[in-house]
Amino acid sequence: MKRRVIATVLVAAMLIGTMLSATGCSSEPNDGKTHITMLQYKPEAVKAFEKMEEEFNATHDDIVLKIESPNDAMTVLKTRFIKEDAPDIIGIGGDVNFSNFVDADMLMDISDFEGLSLVKQAYKDIDKNLEFVPREGVYAVPYVANAAGILYNRDMFEKNGWKIPTTWDEFTSLCETIKSSGQQPLYFGYKDVWTCLAPWNALACDLAPADVCRQVNKGETKFADEYGEVAEKMLELLQYAQDDPFAYNYNDACTAFANGEAAMYPIGSYAVPQIQSVNPDMNIDSFVMPGCDNAEDNVLNSGVDLQFCVTKDCPSKEAAYEVLSFMLEDSTIQTYLDDQNAVPCKDKEFKLSSALDGMLDYINAGKMTDYQDHYYPSEMAVDAQIQTFLLDGSVEKFLNKFDTDWLRYNRDIIRKVQEYEKNGGNK
Amino acid sequence: MNKKLSRNQTFLLITIPVLALFFCFNTLPLIKGLMYSFTNFRGFGSYEWVGMRNYADLFTDARVGKSYLFTFKFALLATVVTNVIALLIALGLNGKIRAKSALRGVYFIPRILGGLVVGYIFGYIFTYILPAITGGSSMLSNTGTAWIAIVIVAAWQSIAQTTLIYISGLQTVPEDVYEAGAIDGATGWKSFKNLTFPLIIPFFSINMVLSMKDFLMVFDQIMALTKGGPAQSTESISFLIYNNGMGGGQFGFQSANAVIFFIVIVTISVLQLNITGKKEEQL
Amino acid sequence: MKKKNKVAAVTNWPLTILLIVGCITVIFPLYMAIVIAFKKPSEMTNDIAGALSLPKTWSLENFAEAMRVTDFWHSLGYSVLITVVTVVLAILIHSLAGYAIGRSMANSKFYKVSYLYIVSGMFVPFAILMMPLVKQTAQMGVDNWFGVILCYLVFYMPMNIMLYSGYLKNIPIALEEAAFVDGATTWSTYWKVIFPIMKPMHATVAVLTALGTWNDVMTPLVIMSGTGANTLPLAQLTFQTQFGTNYNLAFASYLLALLPILVFYLVCQKQIINGVVNGAVK
Repeated sequence: MKRRVIATVLVAAMLIGTMLSATGCSSEPNDGKTHITMLQYKPEAVKAFEKMEEEFNATHDDIVLKIESPNDAMTVLKTRFIKEDAPDIIGIGGDVNFSNFVDADMLMDISDFEGLSLVKQAYKDIDKNLEFVPREGVYAVPYVANAAGILYNRDMFEKNGWKIPTTWDEFTSLCETIKSSGQQPLYFGYKDVWTCLAPWNALACDLAPADVCRQVNKGETKFADEYGEVAEKMLELLQYAQDDPFAYNYNDACTAFANGEAAMYPIGSYAVPQIQSVNPDMNIDSFVMPGCDNAEDNVLNSGVDLQFCVTKDCPSKEAAYEVLSFMLEDSTIQTYLDDQNAVPCKDKEFKLSSALDGMLDYINAGKMTDYQDHYYPSEMAVDAQIQTFLLDGSVEKFLNKFDTDWLRYNRDIIRKVQEYEKNGGNK
Repeated sequence: MNKKLSRNQTFLLITIPVLALFFCFNTLPLIKGLMYSFTNFRGFGSYEWVGMRNYADLFTDARVGKSYLFTFKFALLATVVTNVIALLIALGLNGKIRAKSALRGVYFIPRILGGLVVGYIFGYIFTYILPAITGGSSMLSNTGTAWIAIVIVAAWQSIAQTTLIYISGLQTVPEDVYEAGAIDGATGWKSFKNLTFPLIIPFFSINMVLSMKDFLMVFDQIMALTKGGPAQSTESISFLIYNNGMGGGQFGFQSANAVIFFIVIVTISVLQLNITGKKEEQL
Repeated sequence: MKKKNKVAAVTNWPLTILLIVGCITVIFPLYMAIVIAFKKPSEMTNDIAGALSLPKTWSLENFAEAMRVTDFWHSLGYSVLITVVTVVLAILIHSLAGYAIGRSMANSKFYKVSYLYIVSGMFVPFAILMMPLVKQTAQMGVDNWFGVILCYLVFYMPMNIMLYSGYLKNIPIALEEAAFVDGATTWSTYWKVIFPIMKPMHATVAVLTALGTWNDVMTPLVIMSGTGANTLPLAQLTFQTQFGTNYNLAFASYLLALLPILVFYLVCQKQIINGVVNGAVK
């Protein structure tokens, strides 16, 4: 009796399983068409990508595009590489993962892709700089970027007659003014260590050379010599933070800023949707981190948020290029912009979110530098080291550790860079 | 004699396929992982053999050393707290009480809640509610207290499972043991110490090993509550292995870490099982 | 049986009250979870009163939206499939193995070593197994829900074998010997005598195994990637993206996912208790 019950359960389960699998995925049909799979890492943009997929397939008879937007896409992508079942095109961020993929020889050189000429040079340079050792060829099409600096509450600024600061002195005196008026100048979510990188990156763009990591790898300088002012100013910002900023996380900070608890929030444009989910009517604008004493010297912190790469073993390069060309069409980019808050990398004017008004001049002039942390190996946990430093307060200790850790975590890369330099390097 | 032999054969016929399955999905991948620990593999792409470098690094890496200290300190306290409270709750829930099912259900819920929910709610309690009551600052932002906060949440979650195992252990204690004890005048603590506890020692040792293992491998609660902070004071070994191995580019190095960690826990657990095993035999 | 009822009739009220008071540690967080699941993102605040206040409207919109976003019924199907098959197979296979190993451990080196070998497998960090397992399951053609079940059967084997062999220590061997005298084989004795006696342990193993598989994200994430199939916890990752989390939808979804497993637990819980009475009476 009991065994019959168990057997029935098992058989039923197997049946359900096959039914689910049948509706789940159908194996690739042999229809004579070229099939292109794309895996992109922004599940929040899944609606836009579904629409793009639909439009592409409606206008192309010989190519079938399938776009996957899995959750935790970086893990999924790595498992797909292990299975030797890599997608043809990957949509990833311009960060250290990309550097690793290039270095591990996983991506195809796409320098003969014509669409590259449509993309702003500044972003192509940013991607090029991400290669540990400069390589022949091009490995990514920058698609959209985001920018970081300081978000501010436009209504609060207007009501109090505060002016947008353009130098560090103006900025600190503005913070003093806000503080003495009994309001909160800045809010941080330092409990989530990665948020420590937002002001860090923005300040480093202003105050340190853009290629500092590469210079260190070549053995030309030390972080202790380059990051001193950045670290000092990070400490200075704490004076204007809420009490115990290490007790609050990113979400707390977004909520507090959305509810008007602070006038400014040093974070990137990517935080705007989260803030607006709490307060949809909020009037947000942004300005470039005024880290320098001279307003001209400030640089916008902007990096590639989404780019497309073709994987090395993709069997149908032509079809992949066709997909990339489609992605770069104005109407496709508009589909993406309608859904997501982003800065397109294509060299053309698009209507951008009003939260980026204060950064527009820099974007149009191409006066921008990539996030420094895109060059940091994630296992070195620079974000956590910054949090440690902010709690501890010793600039010297922090930067010395930064230098020693850097050598340890980048050992293999430094060796490669120095070999490259020895063999003639970049002339 | 004949029967005895067939009993052994039956046991072998059961055990060998099970061992084969276990070998295939546990030991075999472990051996492959062991191989990676001698490389600078990033988890994908090309890699090089680096000999014993990862192991040499492991013993000079201050961060790894710190994570061992934190993990053991954490696991020790959490194991004690969890087992004491769970045993008390199990005895209570096994007692002559009303609303047994409902109470057992409620005490089990913490184990079912997902990491995101637990992280958010306890984050809220530690950040906003407790400071408002005590007037102090958040436990999670202080390097001295953050680990205690994690102990509280981890224990809160795993007490459910530990209690369940104790309850099912208490079911093996025959009712007449109590009755016999009652005649001898053994009640309360005395009855527990002399009658109940010796009978549930197998479950005590299982729970000690299981909770020690769960806490030594703590990961979810750390991701949910502190992500290793403040000031890297709550980075557990699993946190490093997972975040730097899978998330970062240190797959080879963290494989070496995992191998050493595995050897350490197995040693501890075998010792633990031997000690409690001897106790069982004495009784 | 009669005597038992009489004893149970005397309720220990102080204990009952103590346990009910202790429930606050669970009820309070649960209350927060439920309230948040009903609120809108715009009702989220950073102060205590705001967090504990009731939602403005008790609308099921979040739950409906959460079900839509996670493709609820489809994901639930996979979760149920994987959990049910794993639990049934675990009870059958692990109890047998626990019996064979547990009964022979004391006087055979081979079984003692097998026991320690399997139990020590529990301590292998999953992170080190992950990549090799992904490759292996792909090569074997089981990089799908079935491969996930195979992995679970191995992952939970150490704990379950420990539990079964621990339970058997308190079951007198005399029970089996009686059956042998009647000429039954070991195999049939197991199914007729031992398997039914271990009912409370089956229920315990079922609950623990089901819980682990039901909540697990990593195994299906890496093994089933690319099949387009989702389990509930996998689908729930949608609520957390790099730069934002929709807590309200996420909480609604987690509460929905909690219900089936809670019901399952309550059903099994009954078996744990009832089983004892049967076992003890014998």
